[in-house]
Amino acid sequence: MTDTVQPFKLLLTSTLAALLLAAATGSLATPIAPTSDDEVIDVLPAVSGSRADARRLRQQLAQQPQNAALALTAARRYLDQAHELGDPRFAGMALSAIAAWPDAASAPDEVLMMRATLQQYLHEFDASAATLKTLLARPGAPRPQAWLTLATVRRVQGRYAESDAACAQVGRAGATLHASACAAENAALSGDVERARATFAALLADPRQPAATRAWLTTSVAELEQRAGRAAAAETAFRAALALAPDPYTTLDYADFLIQQQRPAQALALLKGQVRSDAVLLRLAIAGVQAHSPGAAADVAEMRERIALANERPDAKVFHGREQAMFALAVDGDARRALALARGNVVQQREPLDLLVLAQAARASGEASALQDAKRVVDAMGLVDRRIEAIL
Amino acid sequence: MRRAVTAALRAICCLALLGLGSNVQAHKASDSYLQIDAGDKGTTLRWDIALRDLDAAIDIDANEDGRLTWGEVKAAWPRIEAYALPRLAIAGCALRPTGHALERRNDGAYAVLMLTSDCVLAPTPAIDYTLFREVDPTHRGIARLQRAGQPPTLLMLDPTHAIITPTATASAAPPEASAPNGALGFLREGVRHILTGYDHVLFLLCLLLPSVMRRTPEGWRPVDSLSQAVWPVIGIVSAFTVAHSITLGLAALKIVALPSAFIEPAIAVTIILAALDNVWPILPVRRVVVTFCFGLIHGFGFAGVLAELNLPTSEFVRALLEFNIGLELGQLMIVVGVTALLFVLRQWPRYRPLVIRGGSYAAIVVGLLWLIERTANVSILPM
Repeated sequence: MTDTVQPFKLLLTSTLAALLLAAATGSLATPIAPTSDDEVIDVLPAVSGSRADARRLRQQLAQQPQNAALALTAARRYLDQAHELGDPRFAGMALSAIAAWPDAASAPDEVLMMRATLQQYLHEFDASAATLKTLLARPGAPRPQAWLTLATVRRVQGRYAESDAACAQVGRAGATLHASACAAENAALSGDVERARATFAALLADPRQPAATRAWLTTSVAELEQRAGRAAAAETAFRAALALAPDPYTTLDYADFLIQQQRPAQALALLKGQVRSDAVLLRLAIAGVQAHSPGAAADVAEMRERIALANERPDAKVFHGREQAMFALAVDGDARRALALARGNVVQQREPLDLLVLAQAARASGEASALQDAKRVVDAMGLVDRRIEAIL
Repeated sequence: MRRAVTAALRAICCLALLGLGSNVQAHKASDSYLQIDAGDKGTTLRWDIALRDLDAAIDIDANEDGRLTWGEVKAAWPRIEAYALPRLAIAGCALRPTGHALERRNDGAYAVLMLTSDCVLAPTPAIDYTLFREVDPTHRGIARLQRAGQPPTLLMLDPTHAIITPTATASAAPPEASAPNGALGFLREGVRHILTGYDHVLFLLCLLLPSVMRRTPEGWRPVDSLSQAVWPVIGIVSAFTVAHSITLGLAALKIVALPSAFIEPAIAVTIILAALDNVWPILPVRRVVVTFCFGLIHGFGFAGVLAELNLPTSEFVRALLEFNIGLELGQLMIVVGVTALLFVLRQWPRYRPLVIRGGSYAAIVVGLLWLIERTANVSILPM
């Protein structure tokens, strides 16, 4: 009798194995056959405020597309949603809200500012800078926000001298706090860590700073200490920033720090309740693989599927180059592919993380020339980052 | 033993609950997908558009609760077609809708529009695509243009640059299966699938080989009359039919979902076990019960084929029924032919060593090879 049960046991074991498999894999397109009118087919992304208001705004705008106030209100809402959910579709919708002014020369100031911000979000950095320059060439009141955005765009492109020039203009336009922080940020990137640390400390010493500003400054301190190789100070700053005002950007930043510190379990815990944007899912997958966590396979599979879907567009590797390089390196261990992606990515954006990924991929590839190339890019930018120095 | 069977059945039912898949929203840009099949006599087009994108343009969510129900989508169908159709034009082709369906992708639910035209597509057809131009200028249409005998051409359709003409952007991608057309198309698919689905045929054969024999303490003995063979055959075939109809229905209606990575090897295992049982009685329950249990697994296999056929939602039940009737017809042809042949052969002194033993050993070998192929993902057998 016991012998005869064997085949069924086999069947049972394989059935249970299938359970895990079924949970872990999803398919690209499966037909839906609804059985009742109440069956929910799809859940729309969250909106801030009421859906009825959002829809009314959209309808009003459709009737008066030339109404700049309406267009900007709608665009602002969509952009906030794009930031909050990490969902690029909303950036596209924001662009369409201000589509009534295709010509930069005749567009209102606020529309140009919005367009530049959206272009920045969509990683069209040169286009964003061009839009800002059109705006800044106009006569009229000082425009600190436009200068600050230009400084940010140039910094992301790794053009620190141009960013510095824009920071100085932020100060001339009257926003002294932002100008100081802007300059300190560049100083820190260029290796003048002492001066940057002192500036941030002075700005934070002012008790009148609102929490959001303090959080922003504290995040800058955390990044600075991380690049300076002072992990304990970086950690303290990250925690302080998140305690002041938790935001998706700092959370991701802190997760990357934890992953770099080989503390994947804490990274996973940190990301647990976050909206599963591509950036968040990528970190979940990397930390999961690092920690050998049981959920890693599912996250890896989902991220892989998202990358495959995104790559149906030829320009996807440009927009997602950093994320795809990180995935290739940390999950697939495919150094060659990671290197190609990281190289393509730094043509576009050159934040410290982009250069770090390039250096890691170059090191993993074992090619001496790749390491030299990476070092040349870092030196040409004037970026000083202990983490990168340790690799190159 | 019965406990083990119940446990196995319970495990299969558990799968139903877990296999439904998670509904996670991805964060990719807005894309629609166009599968254009250019034939000699006409052109068919399948156009998949995300419901959430459509909602941003034409407000599908009637009660504004953020959840799109089937009722809301159904009510919006005419508006979906009225919105989408004028936003796609292919030079020289008057496209008319022939049906619609729904499907789920990684980033949410999609409306599927089926279009057709009598036109023969020009070598480089100009495609005028303006979908969502006023909603999201970053939206794109990803078109896969398929001509018979040629690798598909991929096109990016940008709604802000209205007219796009395919250039040499060909890239090889596996063509998708298209739904069978014409009256009783799914019936034919069902017949075809069982006649060419060698694994199902082999399983049936394993069950039928000893049907003209009785199991006695001394081993297999030929039956005396046809009726002694026919009744067990009817029992076995009915059990198989009922079982696979149950799981085919459950899977096709999306009540149960099992990955083919499990089902395909499991089907190979059923063949091995059934063949082994012909030689050494290892299965402790009656053959009818065994057939029923294993038939449940084969039903999932049929459902996999059905899913590949891209059934139209509107005619889903009819298509499912046709497909199943087709299966049964094909199965009946096999059973009648094989049983008649075996009945004639049953008195042959070599029936037992050659037909039952030899046939079963052969089935075990083929089943094992399939099992290896399907688990290790290698190709050994030519079919």
